Amino acid sequence: MPDRATPAPSPGDSLTIAVVDPSRARAAILEEGLRAVEGARVVVIPDTADLLDRLSAVSPDVVVIHLESPSRDLLEQMFGVSRLVERPVAMFVDRSDTPMMQAAVDAGISAYIVDGLRAERIKPIIEIAILRFNAFARLQRELSEAKGELADRKLIERAKGILMSAKGLTEDEAYKQLRRKAMNEKRKIVDIARAIVTAADLLG
Amino acid sequence: MRLQLGYVPLTDAAVLIAAVERGFTEEEGLGVDLAPAPSWATLRDHLALGLLDGAHMLAPLALACHLGLSGPQARLIAPAALARNGNAVTLSLPLWRALDARSDAVADVARAFARVAEDRAGAGRPLTLGTVHPYSSHTYQLRRLLARGGSSLSAVRLVVVPPARTVEALERGLIDGFCVGAPWSTVAVEAGVGRIAALGAHIAPDCPEKVLALTADMADRAAPLLRALKRSARWCGDPGNREALAALLGHPRHLGLDPALILRGLAGTLRLAPGGPVIEAADYLVLGERELTPDPASLDWLADEMAAAGQVAADTVRAEAAGLYRPDLLAAA
Repeated sequence: MPDRATPAPSPGDSLTIAVVDPSRARAAILEEGLRAVEGARVVVIPDTADLLDRLSAVSPDVVVIHLESPSRDLLEQMFGVSRLVERPVAMFVDRSDTPMMQAAVDAGISAYIVDGLRAERIKPIIEIAILRFNAFARLQRELSEAKGELADRKLIERAKGILMSAKGLTEDEAYKQLRRKAMNEKRKIVDIARAIVTAADLLG
Repeated sequence: MRLQLGYVPLTDAAVLIAAVERGFTEEEGLGVDLAPAPSWATLRDHLALGLLDGAHMLAPLALACHLGLSGPQARLIAPAALARNGNAVTLSLPLWRALDARSDAVADVARAFARVAEDRAGAGRPLTLGTVHPYSSHTYQLRRLLARGGSSLSAVRLVVVPPARTVEALERGLIDGFCVGAPWSTVAVEAGVGRIAALGAHIAPDCPEKVLALTADMADRAAPLLRALKRSARWCGDPGNREALAALLGHPRHLGLDPALILRGLAGTLRLAPGGPVIEAADYLVLGERELTPDPASLDWLADEMAAAGQVAADTVRAEAAGLYRPDLLAAA
């Protein structure tokens, strides 16, 4: 049974938040956001085999961990059952707050919270984590889209070059031919360009 | 119908993985998105919050979730078991030497193990042992092995180690031993850092291991999936298919390990010590259609073990657990 003798921190008390995330970039973004929580000390702990010893040394009040981390099961033991931390017993966000829990899981976060910490202190932490993780996911999506667009543009440039030298066209004429073919076949210009580049590679 | 299913990459997810990869689910008209999860906790949360329709799940964790003891509470059903046995207790080489057990028999190993555990606890340096989740047969098997030799879990420091990190944790001395499912004990032996001390099958024969856990609303839609699982279990249980199964499981999409290591567990030909001889242990891990039927009596076993590990009162489990195991759905499918 947990040791309930330790008093719960009051709103003004300092609070240690540990961040565990296999992605260091994402952990850094979350850390920066959590620094805004009043009285919070934020510690990023690398998600490695010695995580448990490092966590025990920090003795956090809250651990925010990404759902991708294999170390979640370790926290379930550490907080839920064992007596490795002085104030064990945690909860997964707030069980009574289903929309919050759903939003947290959708954003990819889980939090383990030492018993006795008040809901009004936990909520802003979880909200910040959700916002930051969603923002990170959006950035990554935009980055991969940007990479894709760049690759598409390069492919179209190559296809234009092939048409220009094979048929003696100007750049503008080559692009118009690509566009016309795409419209006629109801395909994207980049698909036509890819076909041309592939064919040229095979024949060339 | 399209289903979202999850699993943790382990040999005993074989029946579920093969059901999809060998086309048995497709032949039942099912589209399946099958995805590995990095931890049991994440698998449980995704299932409990309805992001998954079903999952390969530790039987005690499915029960704990059903009872509201672990994670978001959700009514679950377990219409099928996925394998029988498959765990092993593996110790670091220095600890194995310190045991100096009279023989490899589980009674001798348990006595020596308990003696060292008590000595170390007395000296203020308790053994650190790894399990896979608080609610797991692994936890209970470690408890039983210690109890059989006259010690208990309170003499050791019990920690959770993700299976893929067991070898590193053992090698760096972060833990002294662990109980884990196939193929991770074999991986530790082949890496030269661990000695298999006892097989789960010999510590607690045929204890409930992994089940197929579904959200309760799947009850009237589970038949096609269960039919596919039956065919898959038959295929997995055929010794002639072991090599193909090992190759399938070893693929980077699933376990991402050398199929030869996975094959050892499937065939029950284990090397207990680095460089040691290969022994025959046919009951180490058993797959097959017969193993699919979940035994409601095993819920009693779980209730007693959960109580003995100090997790919950056995009566609470008995009162609430009825309805989790649904062998009737499997039989009717």
